[in-house]
Amino acid sequence: MADGAMIKPGVPVSFNKVQKSFGSVRVLEELNLQVQPGEFLVLLGASGSGKTTALRILSGLETASAGRVTIGDRDVTDILPKYRDISMVFQSYALYPHKTVAENIGFPLKVRKVPRAEMQAAIKDAAAQVQLDHLLGRYPRELSGGQRQRVALARAIIRRPSVFLMDEPLSNLDAKLRGHMRAELKHMQQSFGITTIYVTHDQIEAMTLAHRIAILEKGVLQQLDTPEQIYNNPANLFVAQFIGSPPMNIVKGSLDSSTFQAHGAAVAVPVQGRVDSAVLGVRPEDCTLAAPAPGGLTGEIYTTELIGDHTLVTLKIGGDFLAVKASKDFRAAPGQVAGVGVARERLFVFDAASGARLT
Amino acid sequence: MSQANFKFEKSDRSLMERLFEPPAPGKMSFTGNLVAYALLLFWSAFVLFPIYWVIITSFKDAKIVNEGPYYIPFYDFQPTLDGWRALTIDPDCGPYAFVHQIGVNLYNAFAYLVSPLVTIDRMQPAICKVLLAYQNSLIISIFATALCMIVGSMAAYALARVAYAPKFGNIVMFVILALGSILTSTYAGVHWALATVAALALFFLLARSLGRFFKSTLGNNDILFWIISQRILPPIVVVIPIYMMFQAVGLVDSHLALILVYAVANLPIVVWLMYDFFRSLPIELEESAQLDGATRFGIFWDIVLPLTRPGFAATTLLTLILNWNEYLFAVFLSTAKAQTMPIMIQAKNAGERGTLWWEMSAIIVVMIIPVILMAIFLQRFIAKGVLLGAVKG
Repeated sequence: MADGAMIKPGVPVSFNKVQKSFGSVRVLEELNLQVQPGEFLVLLGASGSGKTTALRILSGLETASAGRVTIGDRDVTDILPKYRDISMVFQSYALYPHKTVAENIGFPLKVRKVPRAEMQAAIKDAAAQVQLDHLLGRYPRELSGGQRQRVALARAIIRRPSVFLMDEPLSNLDAKLRGHMRAELKHMQQSFGITTIYVTHDQIEAMTLAHRIAILEKGVLQQLDTPEQIYNNPANLFVAQFIGSPPMNIVKGSLDSSTFQAHGAAVAVPVQGRVDSAVLGVRPEDCTLAAPAPGGLTGEIYTTELIGDHTLVTLKIGGDFLAVKASKDFRAAPGQVAGVGVARERLFVFDAASGARLT
Repeated sequence: MSQANFKFEKSDRSLMERLFEPPAPGKMSFTGNLVAYALLLFWSAFVLFPIYWVIITSFKDAKIVNEGPYYIPFYDFQPTLDGWRALTIDPDCGPYAFVHQIGVNLYNAFAYLVSPLVTIDRMQPAICKVLLAYQNSLIISIFATALCMIVGSMAAYALARVAYAPKFGNIVMFVILALGSILTSTYAGVHWALATVAALALFFLLARSLGRFFKSTLGNNDILFWIISQRILPPIVVVIPIYMMFQAVGLVDSHLALILVYAVANLPIVVWLMYDFFRSLPIELEESAQLDGATRFGIFWDIVLPLTRPGFAATTLLTLILNWNEYLFAVFLSTAKAQTMPIMIQAKNAGERGTLWWEMSAIIVVMIIPVILMAIFLQRFIAKGVLLGAVKG
């Protein structure tokens, strides 16, 4: 069988005003989301943000309280999961413990009554894709976590569905394996071109895997954009703080015309207006250490941590902590006073109350 | 606290420490072991003695039983085969009769199977009462257990995984209409079939139209409690109505009557136990199968049942034993043809000669053999660790 013959072109997926409540608890506010054909879309959020609920509504395991869901040109809102042409990888893998690896992988074909010979060939093919060929006779209990993960993947790809759904598929793996599987997933998705919706709370997974990231918080879509845009151009304070490791520095103060004032320092910012309670945001790599200057941000060095390729310096400025990425050769004693220089074009100002971005 | 309190060498330990402290983590202390094994030995003796007593009593005769108690064969008393001979002394119970009866039964079964095509006269087997009762007990318990497990486990699975919300108003309506159909057919002379059909039609009509206005609903827990509550009712309360019911349809003294009654009587236990086993399964397995395209029944058969096999086997064994030992319903619902083993045993208690303990014991020994075999057979399935590797990372 030619490889190209099995590949379905990616299909678009859309959420139109989808809502979900459990009793009186609203877990998903009106969600509008258009996923492009063949796109790798990551739903990113903390637990309780509604990301898994959104995925389960798309899978049909949960029904929406209101709104429509479409896959391709079909409205699937009221269609049974098995007719949606999707396959899903669960966080817990959900392997059938009483079936061998081959039987697990072949299960989607078995329930569709695919002829035996064809099924065997497909199992071999799918297992080869995830390097499991030599383990087909084993039972899930005899496999390591990474191998179980591969079985779950093989079971998802054997059918070549229109859409892949993945619910934190890597979070049960150890850090090293996770990095490896991440690269494999990305490669696999690229070669299949199948639309993929991936749920995670891990921002690194989101940044590395996604074509676009949808950040959810408290059931509300905060921002939907490419990883670069999410990082460089956060829509609001939540996104700014959620993405980035270490997270963006936050200094509380006030905005008066185009000057941000905090802790006796005044920073020129590219925004006009007057806000009594504002927040200045700047990423650690956009800060530099400098000699203390009057009117500039000045603080005491709290800790220095050598990370490897850089040193992370934490300063205490008033009640706020500010992290600065310095060179790996930087040495300073705690308690030493230092000034912080910030790149003006890399500054963000947010309204402290609403979290809205002002710059 | 000083380090000196820790004893690293065995020889450092005092007598008290050696007696009461575990030698290593995960082990028991000497005294702990002693107490545990003493209790286990005592309990084993407690449990096994009745079986031993029944077996030796089956080799006693009237004189030995009345002089007794004697405990050790050949030492205390000379064993005889009186009890066992009574089982076979009936000319219809010899080895020849045994084989003959099996043959006749097979012949009759064949005659029954082809009866829609050709009518063959059935043969009357020579009746050996014990053998007949044994056969009845086997047929009734196996079929009742099978029926009960099939219906009960499917009901339990549905309750464990599907959220039902019957409207309270609809239930009340159903009860009123059922009463109405009974009253009209009994007192107003309406044919019962007509009354039932009319009531059912009326119910569906009203449930569709009026049902929309009912607000309060019941949940799965209410249904489960309703099913379990059937078992709270003492069977003696319902045995007379059940007898009259089966008499009305002409099923008294038939296998079918006992099979149905046993299946219904044990259904609550099966539903209750299996519900717990199904609930303990990780739901992702079923969700995954659902996405993979399996049907609800396919999931139940291919995923859920194999994973609950230990629970299923244990519940089957329990139900089988309950059915095998059942006495109350059997004594009311069977008179001759459908008599079961417990009735045969009870029969040895009556008569002008008093209780024939040795004959009774012989029957009991015969009766407990299949249960022991079944327990050994099912033991293999009641093993743990089936779920290993399902969802743990």
